[in-house]
Amino acid sequence: MPIVETRSIHKIYPNGVHANDDIDFAVEPGEIHALVGENGAGKSTLMKLIYGLEHATSGQIFIRDQEVQIGNPQDAIEQGIGMVHQNFMLVDSFTVAQNIILNRETKQGMQIDFQQAVADTKSLSKEYGLAVNPDARIEDIPVGMRQRVEILKALYRGAEILILDEPTAVLTPSETQDLFAAIRNLVEGGKTVIFITHKLKEVIEISDRVTVMRDARKIGTVKTAQTSERELARMMVGREVFMQVDRPEVARGGSVLHVADLTYADSSGHQLLKQVSFNVYENEILGIAGVEGNGQTELAEVLTGLRPPTTGEAYINDEQILGRGPRSVREHQVAHIPEDRLTNGVALWSSIDDNLIIDRYYREPFTRRGLLDINAIVENGAKLIGEFNIIAPDGAIPVNALSGGNMQKVVVARELSSSPKLLIAAQPTRGVDIGAIEFIHQELVDQRTRGLAILLISADLQEVMKLSDRIMVMYEGEIVGVFPNDESLTEERIGYYMLGAERQPPQEMERYI
Amino acid sequence: MKDKTSDAPPESNSVASFFKKRLLLMVGGASGILVTLFVMNTLFDGSIEKMTGTTDWRNILLVNALVGACIFLFVVELRRQAIRVLLTVVVALLLGFLVTFIFNLDSADRFGRGEFRAQVVSDAEPTENDEVDLEYNKRRGGEFNKPKVVAPVSEIAWTFAGREGDVVSLLAYAKNRRSEVDLLVELRDESGALLAAATSATETQVDETFDDLVSVKDAVIEGFQLPADGLYTLYSRPEDIATETVLSEALSQSQLAFEALLLGPIERVNRWGVWIQDAITLILLGLSFAIVFRAQQFSLGAEGQLYFGALVSGIIALNSPHVPGIILIPFIILASGTAGFIYGLIPGALKAYLGANELVSTLMLNFVATRFFEMVLNFQLKPPDAGYVASAKFTENAILPVIVDKTQVTVAVFILAVVIFVSWLLIRRTPLGYEIRIIGSNLRFADYGGVNTKRTIMLVMAIGGIVAGLAGMHLANGIHRQLILNISFNLAFEGVVVALLARLNVLVVPFTGLLYAYLRAGAQFMERDANVSFEVVRMIQAIIILLITAEALVTFFQARQKRADIDEEGHAVESLEAADG
Repeated sequence: MPIVETRSIHKIYPNGVHANDDIDFAVEPGEIHALVGENGAGKSTLMKLIYGLEHATSGQIFIRDQEVQIGNPQDAIEQGIGMVHQNFMLVDSFTVAQNIILNRETKQGMQIDFQQAVADTKSLSKEYGLAVNPDARIEDIPVGMRQRVEILKALYRGAEILILDEPTAVLTPSETQDLFAAIRNLVEGGKTVIFITHKLKEVIEISDRVTVMRDARKIGTVKTAQTSERELARMMVGREVFMQVDRPEVARGGSVLHVADLTYADSSGHQLLKQVSFNVYENEILGIAGVEGNGQTELAEVLTGLRPPTTGEAYINDEQILGRGPRSVREHQVAHIPEDRLTNGVALWSSIDDNLIIDRYYREPFTRRGLLDINAIVENGAKLIGEFNIIAPDGAIPVNALSGGNMQKVVVARELSSSPKLLIAAQPTRGVDIGAIEFIHQELVDQRTRGLAILLISADLQEVMKLSDRIMVMYEGEIVGVFPNDESLTEERIGYYMLGAERQPPQEMERYI
Repeated sequence: MKDKTSDAPPESNSVASFFKKRLLLMVGGASGILVTLFVMNTLFDGSIEKMTGTTDWRNILLVNALVGACIFLFVVELRRQAIRVLLTVVVALLLGFLVTFIFNLDSADRFGRGEFRAQVVSDAEPTENDEVDLEYNKRRGGEFNKPKVVAPVSEIAWTFAGREGDVVSLLAYAKNRRSEVDLLVELRDESGALLAAATSATETQVDETFDDLVSVKDAVIEGFQLPADGLYTLYSRPEDIATETVLSEALSQSQLAFEALLLGPIERVNRWGVWIQDAITLILLGLSFAIVFRAQQFSLGAEGQLYFGALVSGIIALNSPHVPGIILIPFIILASGTAGFIYGLIPGALKAYLGANELVSTLMLNFVATRFFEMVLNFQLKPPDAGYVASAKFTENAILPVIVDKTQVTVAVFILAVVIFVSWLLIRRTPLGYEIRIIGSNLRFADYGGVNTKRTIMLVMAIGGIVAGLAGMHLANGIHRQLILNISFNLAFEGVVVALLARLNVLVVPFTGLLYAYLRAGAQFMERDANVSFEVVRMIQAIIILLITAEALVTFFQARQKRADIDEEGHAVESLEAADG
């Protein structure tokens, strides 16, 4: 008897997007059920329907074999459903205990009984093995603990069924392991967990059953024990996927980018980069690992001229590039795949053609005698659309008509076609479907093999490990370790550095820098 | 969607698009020619002789051909969206008609008021009686329901003395043709009992029997034989107005008004001239806003730039009475453009380098410019003997040469054509235009790509200023031929509507400018020819603006289509249109 079941669920958004197409989805009590699919496959929509954040166009939802109408999250909570969102819904300036009891306060007269709140938090925390400090403020605690607070919050509201939306996206490997342990605890305690993700490795590791969605449809539900990562990937994408990137050995060349003692402080005086020094060499991908928000974004933006450095220097082939603006950096043959393509990487309402020339429109052949050469622009667009396999009818359509993966291909196509010496690639595959990830990875590696120096910044440690020749770990704006990416390097080991638990001795770091 | 692209043979796509393009050009060309012919036909009542008999008819034809060209551009540029623009206007006009109708619901009231006369006609000997109101064959009159009177007359009951056997006819009629009052008349005896009543007159009575009657709406009791000696009463009041009369009157008045609105501007050449000259100003202002808005800069500085341009060109005109026009006019054009450029550069620099909000700064600068204009006009340029605040009339050499006699349609038409072309070249074909478009699309992307966004923002506001400055020159040296107070007549802000209606497309602005100027001119004639106030026209304009804003809804619903046929050619067209908007 399933504890949650949907029958023939359809969801059509007002803008006409068919996000859920005839979904029959069932979760057994006491299981860990993974829900996988690429971005836009409709998994989040399905969960929002169950949690009452959206309403189905047609179809039925059953909780414990009772048909229910879930009008809003309040109804869902009454049915024993809790959801932990990807972006935490916590009040930063409140303590952990205050957040947990929020809207469910025990009162003594007019006063909220905070002692009771702390006591409740402690007992709940103990019961499910989710360690939190009830008196700490949310803004002061690490991401992993915030997530535990979210889970506890749901449990405090009596959740029997927990929906976790991409819970590992923000976690380091060891934090992920802690979370998995906690999830197993929960299930032993009789809870049911629905786990949304697109990381197949985690699916195999934690779940009992998997439901795969693609293009708003349910492809199938399988027992985890009877499937494999490869099989799941094939179900997700609809064709065979090569998970491994072919990375031939090449000897690295000379230093292309040399960064020396780079420091950056924001307007409020926070030191976001501290004395950062490193080199990126020809024929090499240098991957930067680190939990997001440890200075990687700032590093990329300072190096590409989008922010002025506080102190320090950076040289491309012995020429200083900092403090002169993005165009100067680009003229030194530096390409940049920005972290957030929607804000920086594309102009959504401009055509693909126009998006592909932002770094070169003022040069021949695009501008001749002061006028734009439309033919050259269109040809350039058509050429890159073909070369980079961007799926679009022609270059005249605006970028916002493309899927996330194709949008990113537009960015990659532009940046790689500028014949750069150095590519700074920040989160190059974030929010991109598996097919496009595969393509972008292969493209990066091919370019590196042909001589390009690549600085890869990614929050996805697996990606960093898969692509990089060397890996540099950043923690709180500092470089805490540099390693050649060989067999001896494990995710766990990097994880310790990412959390700041370990730090490479300077002499050793010197060797690999 | 991947499968679809690979399956569809690429040639069929391009062939289809080729035909679509052809069709589009043909539709555009046909509508342009039709409009040109229609305007010419209405102007000259379809008579070739009348046309060729008019001075400068060739130039009229030329200008109308340019109007046709604007229609062509509109269709070709906006494609299917053109229908939406037209629908917006049609819906606004319909709503305007409704408003006009409501405001005209009182137009039947005129049947209930007005000057009237009453008379008892009889061949019998009048009775001597000083106590009565009426004597046989003596007229007596008054005015029913006179407006703004404390106690208006709403009915009369006038007595007269009669003898048994007198044959009398009772008349109640409008005093003259100006009074449209619709009367009834009753004959009552001394006790007040009704003896006879009538609400109308027959054609014969009007035309032959009674000279005094004006129309069949007057009321006549003809040939009544009085039953006894005594006092009788002639009772009369305006007839009650039937609902259907109220409605049909309101409808016919609204129709009249809309006829004036829709055909008024092309009835005669001088009216047509009003339309064209207004359109020139509006198009220039529309272009100015379209260019600036294209970079997502919400500068409303055109007003101030216009005043500055007008002031500079006016001062030059007043101070060079002897310079030949062929030199002076180009110089004035240059100077007014430069004035606008500088006055646009100021808020541009403030925005780019000091982060001053362009909306606030331009509005303030507008204020400065208009007051400065007034000050200079008042204290420097006004001739001492002038009775009102205005400069001296410009000398002939400083006035833009007129190309159509008896109008103020000047060579500004050609200047405008050049400005439109250059604006198009700037936005679509220059690196600066690319920067403007990209900044308008995503400022941070432009920064990331290495565009010097500060410089571009400053420049785009200054370039918008050039065009607005030219509009000022057109007003000063083309239309008013002197500097007057309030020279822009609030046209500047209507340029915003023109630009928005054209979806910031500089090739569509000419059409929307013409359309808007047409409505404005039509409004003037509507006010003049029909009983509709200018306020109604303002409401129509406001409704248009509202509908444009509400068009976001349309775009919203169009998103449905998007996913349905993602890689059909139609999709590419749709999306591009979305991109333009």
